[in-house]
Amino acid sequence: MRRRMRGIAVAAIALTSVLSMAACAKDNGGSSSGSANNNASGGCKLADKPPVAGAGTSSSSAGEKVDGSALKVGLAYDIGGRGDASFNDSAAAGLDKAKADFGVAEVKELTAAPNEAEDAKQTRLRQLASEGFNPIIGVGFAYAESLKVVAPEFPNVKFAIVDGAVDGAANVTPLVFAEEEGSFLAGVIAAYQSKSCHVGFVGGVKIPLIQKFDAGFEQGAKAAAPEIKIEKKYLTPAGDFTGFQEPTKGQEAAKGQIEAGADVLYHAAGASGKGVFSAAKSANVKAIGVDSDQYHQTTVADSKDVIVSSMLKRVDVAVYDFVKAVAKNDLANFPKVFDLKVDGVGYSTSGDKIDDNLKQVLDGYKSQIIEGKIKVTDKPSS
Amino acid sequence: MNPSEAPATVPPPRKSRRLPGWAVGVLGVAGAVVLLSTTSYLTGVPQLTSTGTIQTAVRLALPILLAGLGGLWAERAGVVNIGLEGMMIMGTWGAAWAGYQWGPWAALVAAAVFGALGGLLHAIATVTFGVNHIVSGVAINLLGAGLTKYLSTLVFFPLSHNPRESPAVPKFDTYSAPGLSEWLGDLEAQQRVGLSDVAGILRGLVTGVSPLTMLAIALVVGSYLVLWRTRFGLRLRSCGENPVAAESLGVNVYRHKYAAVIASGALAGIGGAALVLNPGQPGYLEGQTNGRGFIGLAAMIFGNWRPGGLLGGAALFGYADGLQLRSGGKTFLALVYGAVLLLAVIVVWQLVRRRWFAAAGGIVAAVALYAVYYSVDEVPSELTTYAPHLVTLIVLAVASQRLRMPAADGVVYRRG
Repeated sequence: MRRRMRGIAVAAIALTSVLSMAACAKDNGGSSSGSANNNASGGCKLADKPPVAGAGTSSSSAGEKVDGSALKVGLAYDIGGRGDASFNDSAAAGLDKAKADFGVAEVKELTAAPNEAEDAKQTRLRQLASEGFNPIIGVGFAYAESLKVVAPEFPNVKFAIVDGAVDGAANVTPLVFAEEEGSFLAGVIAAYQSKSCHVGFVGGVKIPLIQKFDAGFEQGAKAAAPEIKIEKKYLTPAGDFTGFQEPTKGQEAAKGQIEAGADVLYHAAGASGKGVFSAAKSANVKAIGVDSDQYHQTTVADSKDVIVSSMLKRVDVAVYDFVKAVAKNDLANFPKVFDLKVDGVGYSTSGDKIDDNLKQVLDGYKSQIIEGKIKVTDKPSS
Repeated sequence: MNPSEAPATVPPPRKSRRLPGWAVGVLGVAGAVVLLSTTSYLTGVPQLTSTGTIQTAVRLALPILLAGLGGLWAERAGVVNIGLEGMMIMGTWGAAWAGYQWGPWAALVAAAVFGALGGLLHAIATVTFGVNHIVSGVAINLLGAGLTKYLSTLVFFPLSHNPRESPAVPKFDTYSAPGLSEWLGDLEAQQRVGLSDVAGILRGLVTGVSPLTMLAIALVVGSYLVLWRTRFGLRLRSCGENPVAAESLGVNVYRHKYAAVIASGALAGIGGAALVLNPGQPGYLEGQTNGRGFIGLAAMIFGNWRPGGLLGGAALFGYADGLQLRSGGKTFLALVYGAVLLLAVIVVWQLVRRRWFAAAGGIVAAVALYAVYYSVDEVPSELTTYAPHLVTLIVLAVASQRLRMPAADGVVYRRG
C-alpha cells in the first residue's frame, strides 16, 4: 500500500515537473540583459578630430632581394604551438613567409608542453643550438629565464625572444611590441562606436604585459571622448595564468560590464576572449579583438559579426624582419620596439565596420603617435 | 529480514536534533536571502541580488555542483574520488565530440559515458585491485588530461585547425517562466527594500534557465531520493560506513561500489558537459576544467557529504565567483559588510547560549572585518578571486567537529 502511494507521488511529481517545463517559454535570441535601452544618448561627445594624416610613410623597403639560403632557423613555441590561432600561429606565419621569400635552408619547430619544468625549455633551446640552428627564436616571454642561461653558452648563435627581453645577453634580440599604441587606436574605435559613451576592457591576467593594453585603451578612448566611462576587469590576478583560458569567466565579466552600460568591449584575454565575444553577441553590443584578426578565426565564427576590429600585434612581421635582418647581417638597424611606425601593431578592418570617417580619424591619431605628439603610456592610471 | 527498516549507521551522539534537514535548508536559504537583501539595502549595492548576478552564479555553480555530486556518490560508497577532475576532462572531450555532430543532448549522453568510463577505471583499480584511492585518482587526473590531449589532436585538429580546441558545439536553448519573469523584473526595477531583492534572486532563477540547470537540480533531488530513500541507496551507503557488516548481511559490496563509482564518473562527466555547453565557450578547450573537480570535492565536504549541503557549497562558490567577475572589488566590499552582519547575529546567538568564548571570538572577528570594510574602497582582486576558498577553509576549521564523513571512506575493502 505504502509503496503504491509512493509510486503515485513520484508520478505526480514527474507530471508536474513535465508540465511546468512545458509551460516555460523559450527565450529567443537570449537578450535577457537590459542593455539596449540605455543607448538613448546616441553616442559620445567626441573630442576634436586630429589633423588628417599626410601621405603614409612606409618604412619597409619592398622588393629587396635577401638571400637566406645559408640560414637554419629554429623556432621554439610556447604552449599551444602551431595551430593555436594566436601568437604562436602568427610567429609560424612569419616564419613561413621568411622561408618562402628568403629560401631558408632548414627550419625546425619545437613546442612547449603545459606546466613543463624550466629545464625542458632550456633543453629545447640547447638542442636547437647544438644542431646548428641559427637564428633561434623563442616565442613567448616564458623563454626569458631559459635564454638567460642558454644564450651565453652559445655566443655565436643569434637568439630572439618574442614579448620579452633578456638583460645582459648581447646575442638575444628582444621582439617587443608597443601594445599600448595599438590599444590606443582600439580605444578610439571603441569611443566612436559606442552609443552609450561607455566601454569596457576585459584583461586575462593582471600582469604588466596586459596592463599595457589596458593603459593604451583607456588613453585612446579618453582622447577621442573625454567624458567616456570605462569598465575594467581582470579575470585572474598575477600568478594565476588560467585567466587566459577561461571563456566562461570572460563571458561573465563581459556580461557584468554590459549590464553596467558598456556597449563596446575590448579584450586582451587570450582564449577567454571567446566568452567576451559571445556575451557581446547575445546582448547585441560590439567587441574588439586582439593580437590577430579575430574576425577570421574559425573558433569565434558564430559571433564574428560583433567584432568591429581587432588590435593587431604583428608577431609575424617581427619574426619575418628578424630572419631578414639576420640574413642581411644587419641587426644594428633592427627596431627596438615594434610600434605603429614599423607596422608592428595596428588594427584590422575586416567586416567593414569601420567607415571612412573613422579611418581618417584613426590615421590622424596614428600619425600623431608616430610623430611623438601623443605619448601613449604603458601603465594604467588606476 | 528487511534491511530497509533498520538504520545501518548510528549517527554520533548528539543533543536531540530539533529540526529536520529540510527545515534547516529552508532556514539557511531564507537567512541568506535576508542577509543579502539587508546588506544590499544598507550598502546601496543592488548588484548583490540582481538577476544578472544570480544567473551568473547559477552558470558558474553548475559544473561544481555536478562534480560535487559525483564525489558524493563515490564517497558515500566508501571510495575517495580525487579523480573527479580527470573524469570531468574526459566529459568535456566527450561532450564536444558528440555535441558538434549531434547536438547538445547527445553531448550530455557522451559526456556521461566518457566520465563513466573514467569512473569504471577508478572502480577497477580501487575496488577490484585494492589500489590506494588517492593514487588511482591522481593517475586518472593525469590520464584524463593526456588522453583528451591525444584525442583532440587526432579528432579536432583537422576540423578546428587547433589541437587544443573543438569546433563550436551547439548550445541548449534557454527557457523562462512566462509572465513571472516580467512581473519579477518590474518588481526588481522598483527597488523596494527587501521585495526587490527577493524578486531579483527569484528572477535570476527562473529566467534564461538551461535544461542542463533543471537536470542538475533534478539530479541533486534524485541523488537524495536514491541514496537515502531506497533500499539500493541504503546498501550503497552501508558499503561506505561499514562494508564488513554490509557483506555479512548479504550485500554485494563490490557491486555497489562499482555502481557508485561509475555513477560518480558519469556525474563528473556531465559536469564537464556543463562547461562545454556553457554559452560562453565555443566548445572543448584544453584546460577548461581548471581544477573545478577539486572545487566540487571541496563543496561536497563543505556540505557534510549531503546533497543539500553540497548544493549550498556549490552555490557559495558560484555566487562569490560570479560577484567578483561581474562587479569586482567594490561590490565585494558590500559582502564584507554582510559578513559583519552575519557575525553580529552569530554573536548574539552565542550570547544567548552563554558561550562567552565563542561570542568574544565573534566580536573580535566582526570588529576586524568592519575595520577592513571601513578602511578600504575596494577589496583587492587577489582576495576576491580566492574568497570562496577562504570561506571553505573557515567553514572547515570552524565546523570540522560537526562534519561527519562516511566511516569507511577511503578504506580499501577486501572481500573476506
